[in-house]
Amino acid sequence: MGRWEENTAKWHEQTMVYCDLCGRIIPKNFWIVEEGVERLVFCDPDCEQLYRDYWLPSRKREQ
Amino acid sequence: MERIDTVTLSVINNALVNICREMGTAMMRTSYSPIFNEGLDFSCMIFNRRGDMIGQAEFCPTMLGSAQYAVNWTIEELGLESFGPGDVVIHNDPYRGQCHMPEHMVLKPVFFEGQLWGFVANIAHVGEIGGMAPGSFAADATEVYQEGLRLPPVKVISRGEYVKDVWKIILSNHRTPKTSWGDLHAMIGSLGIAEARLLELLERYGGERLTAASDLLLDYSERWMREEIRGIPNGEYRASDCMEDDGVTDQPVWLRLKLVVRDDDVIADWTDSDPQAKGPVNATFVVTAAASYSGLLHLTSNDIPRNSGCYRPIRIVTKPGSVVNVRHPGPSVGGNTETHPHLQNVVVAALSQAIPERSAAAEGASGCNFLFAGVHPDSGEYYTNYHIDGSGWGATAFHDGNSAMCPENGNCRNTPVEVLENKFPWMTLEYRLRPDSGGPGKFRGGLGSSRILRVLAPEITVSALMDRTKTRAWGLFGGGEGGSGGIFVKKKGDTRFRTFSETFGTVSDSKFTRVVLKEGDEVKIHSPGGGGYGPPAERAPEAVENDIRQGWVSPEATRERYGDGV
Repeated sequence: MGRWEENTAKWHEQTMVYCDLCGRIIPKNFWIVEEGVERLVFCDPDCEQLYRDYWLPSRKREQ
Repeated sequence: MERIDTVTLSVINNALVNICREMGTAMMRTSYSPIFNEGLDFSCMIFNRRGDMIGQAEFCPTMLGSAQYAVNWTIEELGLESFGPGDVVIHNDPYRGQCHMPEHMVLKPVFFEGQLWGFVANIAHVGEIGGMAPGSFAADATEVYQEGLRLPPVKVISRGEYVKDVWKIILSNHRTPKTSWGDLHAMIGSLGIAEARLLELLERYGGERLTAASDLLLDYSERWMREEIRGIPNGEYRASDCMEDDGVTDQPVWLRLKLVVRDDDVIADWTDSDPQAKGPVNATFVVTAAASYSGLLHLTSNDIPRNSGCYRPIRIVTKPGSVVNVRHPGPSVGGNTETHPHLQNVVVAALSQAIPERSAAAEGASGCNFLFAGVHPDSGEYYTNYHIDGSGWGATAFHDGNSAMCPENGNCRNTPVEVLENKFPWMTLEYRLRPDSGGPGKFRGGLGSSRILRVLAPEITVSALMDRTKTRAWGLFGGGEGGSGGIFVKKKGDTRFRTFSETFGTVSDSKFTRVVLKEGDEVKIHSPGGGGYGPPAERAPEAVENDIRQGWVSPEATRERYGDGV
């Protein structure tokens, strides 16, 4: 189960965080999913869903 | 949700579209630069307070697809609470949801009965924003900092008052500040008109009802797009294309798509594309998203209301640090004009395997971006200009491709010779369609154009960013390739045109910056042609005859393409 997290960077810090599914730079609010030691960052729960429905199975098939 | 009848919904949808059209007309009539008032290189939109695009007019699809990302970023970074009546925000940062540096968005909140109801916005190509090359289209840039002044979302007008500090920064970094002042005010002024019209609509229907109607329109567009996608057979469709070089290294850069159709949604997976290029052919994420949307919109019903709803079933997957999702501080100015049409063509090519009757062959897919700058000998004033030429479109299952048109993703107009000569020290020696540049087929690809310009000033500094000068637009289902384009130079006294690399030692023949031409030198721009559709042998004899009569296909090429019998 994921949770929302806000980018805590200060206004003068130039940070860029990319979604682990679509690759977009996320403006401010991240959808965080932690699985064991792995920490995945998504735009929103929709990206997490596509990561599970499409990305993981398709990578597995190609391997 | 409030029940609103379909007639009222239709009236509201048309009103929203018409507000955007009027915004565009105002910008066209009040701007300074030919790329605005002739090229119409802009787009106009309305958003609800959540950042959903609820209305747009038929301007530049590149910007229309990316606008929702730019607006969403702005809302998220600044926060809804930061907006007040009379504010205007400007934003061109490709690393904050924008498409490339020249495209500037201005955004104005609209308040109704004391509450923030939504936003009116437009994105337009500001022709000179500083950076390493006049015209801010640095074809050999290797980082974003060389491409001009980068503006995160900041207010240029606060509660109706100029934020002078920001204006001073902008105008002192642009080479032609007077023109920027005029063009930016055309953009901002048109927001005022859109705001007034939207307030009239709010007075007529009320805030809650208009919100409910626009929500219904968003859902309606989504449902319609899903129905359209259901009409495409499920499956994985692959296609690819390359940028012929990146302006810095003379190597092709590949764009590879796996398009997955799953019942009522589509995944555009671009992750097999090449790593980020050194030069500026990289696309930002939003460019790739906009190209994917645009490809789908080309092949689905024209009647779907164009709002954020129709994008919902289309999912984009990219890898940061690739040519389809540039990582900071990579350059990206060519990504929006050159790579974007290639990406869109790849989407259409992938879907041609599933819905051949709705697809099209590849187009010339180059904006033929030609930038020039200098001191005008008549006025003594420094000028810059961003000039584009149309290329040939791909043929479809039903008709020949259009000739000498801006790529489908740009939807801009060519600048008339009279305007070009009146404003800048060039003499046009030739501007015509290029025979034999359209790919042969049952339906012929559109023709590219040929333009020859002679320098009339002591010197003009030129830059270019083109593609498909070595590669060609592909045909479909037996149709032939379109002719490639090119840009050439003939120094005064020379007997023939040569490539810029031959004459000036540029790395690329089609992508270079800051070449100084002297009075009497000539430039020839050949835009590429579009691919053909279907076997040439099936072309109607009367269409072949007409091609010859019009001079679009030479008799020699006719025999070669269609056989002696014709």
